[in-house]
Amino acid sequence: MMFSALSSQHSADRSLRVRRFMEGVSLWMAMLLVLFVQPLYAEASTGSEDSAGALHFVDGKGQWQKPALVLGSDFDVRVSGLIADSKLVRTFRNTSDQWREGVFVFPLPEKASVYGLTMKVGRRTIVGEVQPREEARKTYEKARDSGRHAATVEQQRPNLFTTRVANIPPGAAVSVELKYQQLVRYQNGVFELSVPTTLTPRYMPGAPLAVTPQQWQGGWAVPTAEVPDADAISPFTVDVADVAADSHRASVQFTIDAGLPLARVFSPSHEVATQQDGQVVTVLPQVGDIVMNRDFVLRWQPLAGQEPGAAVFHQQWEGEDFLLAMVLPGRAGKAHLSRELTFVIDTSGSMAGESIRQAREALQQGLETLAPGDRFNVIQFNSQPHALFMQPEMATANNLARARQYVSRLKADGGTEMAPALTLALQSQGRSTAELPGDESPEESTRVRQVVFMTDGAVGNESALFSQIRRQLGDHRLFTVAIGSAPNMHFMREASRWGRGSYTSVQDPADIRGPLARLFSAMEAPMLTDIEVSWPGQAVPTMADSFPRRPGDLFQGEPLLQVVRGVPPAGELRVSGRLPGGGKWQQSLDLQQAASGTGLNRYWAREKIDSLLDEARVEGQEPDKAKITKLAVEHSLMSPYTSFVAVDRTPARTSESVLVKEDLPTLLPAGSQPGMMRYPQTATFAPLLIALGLLGLLLCAAIALLQRRVYP
Amino acid sequence: MSRSLLLLMTSSALLLVFGLWVPIKAVVAQELLEMAWAESQARQTESRPWPWADTWPVAKLSMPELGDSMIVLAGVHGESLAFGPGQVMGASGQQGAVVIAGHRDTHFRPLKYLEPGNELRLQNREGRWQGYRVRETRIVDSRSEFIDTHKLSAGTLLLITCYPFDSMDAGGPLRYVVEAHIEDDRSQGSLGEIDTVAGL
Repeated sequence: MMFSALSSQHSADRSLRVRRFMEGVSLWMAMLLVLFVQPLYAEASTGSEDSAGALHFVDGKGQWQKPALVLGSDFDVRVSGLIADSKLVRTFRNTSDQWREGVFVFPLPEKASVYGLTMKVGRRTIVGEVQPREEARKTYEKARDSGRHAATVEQQRPNLFTTRVANIPPGAAVSVELKYQQLVRYQNGVFELSVPTTLTPRYMPGAPLAVTPQQWQGGWAVPTAEVPDADAISPFTVDVADVAADSHRASVQFTIDAGLPLARVFSPSHEVATQQDGQVVTVLPQVGDIVMNRDFVLRWQPLAGQEPGAAVFHQQWEGEDFLLAMVLPGRAGKAHLSRELTFVIDTSGSMAGESIRQAREALQQGLETLAPGDRFNVIQFNSQPHALFMQPEMATANNLARARQYVSRLKADGGTEMAPALTLALQSQGRSTAELPGDESPEESTRVRQVVFMTDGAVGNESALFSQIRRQLGDHRLFTVAIGSAPNMHFMREASRWGRGSYTSVQDPADIRGPLARLFSAMEAPMLTDIEVSWPGQAVPTMADSFPRRPGDLFQGEPLLQVVRGVPPAGELRVSGRLPGGGKWQQSLDLQQAASGTGLNRYWAREKIDSLLDEARVEGQEPDKAKITKLAVEHSLMSPYTSFVAVDRTPARTSESVLVKEDLPTLLPAGSQPGMMRYPQTATFAPLLIALGLLGLLLCAAIALLQRRVYP
Repeated sequence: MSRSLLLLMTSSALLLVFGLWVPIKAVVAQELLEMAWAESQARQTESRPWPWADTWPVAKLSMPELGDSMIVLAGVHGESLAFGPGQVMGASGQQGAVVIAGHRDTHFRPLKYLEPGNELRLQNREGRWQGYRVRETRIVDSRSEFIDTHKLSAGTLLLITCYPFDSMDAGGPLRYVVEAHIEDDRSQGSLGEIDTVAGL
């Protein structure tokens, strides 16, 4: 008894000690947990302040925020003959409870003439006007700061524009309607129209300039010595999942009145549904709204045997006659040319993903077209160019096998330094002939030198590259092949124009062969040179008003297009050229048969502006800004020096409520990988596990203690 | 009741052990890496710290102000980050930018104490130390910002880790970037020496 009392005394003593111990442990653990979790609260409380360097897509807690502005686009394209007239409505819907200013950088077709801007707020419609660029900017800023609704569209590149919409009310939408027209491309009996929806992030060569951030711009790239407006043409690129589910979607509708019976209408980029009503065909994408991450390309083909060989359109605008003529030279026949072919392939980071695969395949196909006796070389470039051979080699089985192996191992990585690659491609032959002894020179001198340039054109210094092509071209011909979901078509077109070649684009990854086969067969066939156009009434001023002033050489399947001002639809248009081998080719066109067209004046004005810009480039001078501005204002056109601006009369936002600017991101082109390195994932689950573990143990201790108190 | 308590206790303890395992592994691995680093310096080869390792030490990073130094591994693939910070870009002995990423919970936790002007030192396999000065620290969003590798100048050192430092979320989008540049002091110093020689 005594013993048991003692033992119970002892056990009570022990349980007390255990309890004390447990209490001590839980106190320590609680302390640890508080220590561990405390910084989290500290973080959360400081997080609400605006941390420097963080984008507005990320909130104070570091969580990704979908852009507050939801962007909707609606393309309504009407094709009549050779001109496509488009109405593009961009709707900015504000889902936040603050007033917003939306900034969106977007592409348009490479030869688009923008001629109208209308802003719609609620039921009101405000028609915009053309103003010189700086003036438009001031008008917009003034309206924005005074709280009025305003919208402006500015041209950054011939195919890249920025739209700004000020004072979008919380929970409401403002839409901006843009009108533009473009010429339909006609080649090898197929009409083609492309509607770009996004842009491939461009590489900005040159050293970064140290400039203070400007309010007017906002992008991921900083201005560089070679691309001073890099930040204006580099919107943030995000994945489709990073924007709201109904943002960055476009509804598209095409109405085609080709003026001739069509065999088929198809799209290599999207599935489309067509509906025919007489000669008018309506085309809609099958899925309804499309995601804006790849160019929408539509092609239509006339019935076999009904492909047009020539066409004339006429329009009277403010008492002046405008004529647009198209002449398609017939087949010139094939003659074997001994060639020197240089393939240049872009292996920069922006080509990563689907694009480099396409390019490799295209290049392999190009190698197949080489005939014995041809010389060839393969040059790849990213930050630096690298050539397969020191100089172009004969197309022997051995060399071709080496080339195939080289091509199959190409990977996309690094920068897009095009200039040294162009120099290498355009000068390599000159060096090789100099090195070769004279025995081969007669054959070498008759060789046709061709350069095939495969790229997505994702560079910011296009203009400098065109000048370089012009300087270094010599007797070469430069052909560009556009690769990817959203290539820079302006670069493709102009590079090939300055390079006296032609351009093509691979739109359907499943059908690379089709367009390339046409390009390579056009390259193998001889072309029409020294083309001269004479309009009726040979007066000199009339000649000065027809564009393009010096028509380039024509490759097989390519039409000649001419636009003229001040020539009435009477008489005959004569076109002549020289066939390969010295023969003369001539064709005349009866202008009385001209069909009536629309928008010819705008097309003419755009051509004239382009020709003024070309002249400036050839002479290495600044373009005639005043002349271009005057022309653009007269025809109400967008140009590098004129912008559209629309301003509401009455203020909508009071000065108390703040306006938040938002740069809308663009979507990453389908199939491409982010060109630049992503930040690696650098956190572990350790803190979470430790916290959970501590919490669990604490809970256990608490329960154990409670149990002891209840049943001592 | 006591059984479920036991279960809760065991699972919590297990969680704690797993949680603590990460820093323990990081510390232990660095010891092993020190040996491998000494060996690769001596032999001038890539020597793996343990036979089945998929990575090897490429540099030693030292932060004199914080009194911390660590071995940098090649690449950020697979498990390598658990043992030490990984070199994402840049090769030893070559001019060019160096980008190193590390776990914010282990090796790169001290990054938050780095301030502009602090010194960083990087030792290559030949044993030569290269001094860097922190130019700035910034926070970036990895979902809309990339490392523009073409824009990094040759003497740049980027240290990258996750942000915020005390977050529980292992998959957050923010990154903390420390940008440092090669110090010019050395060249100035050699100029100074030449001056003295000329003075004599």
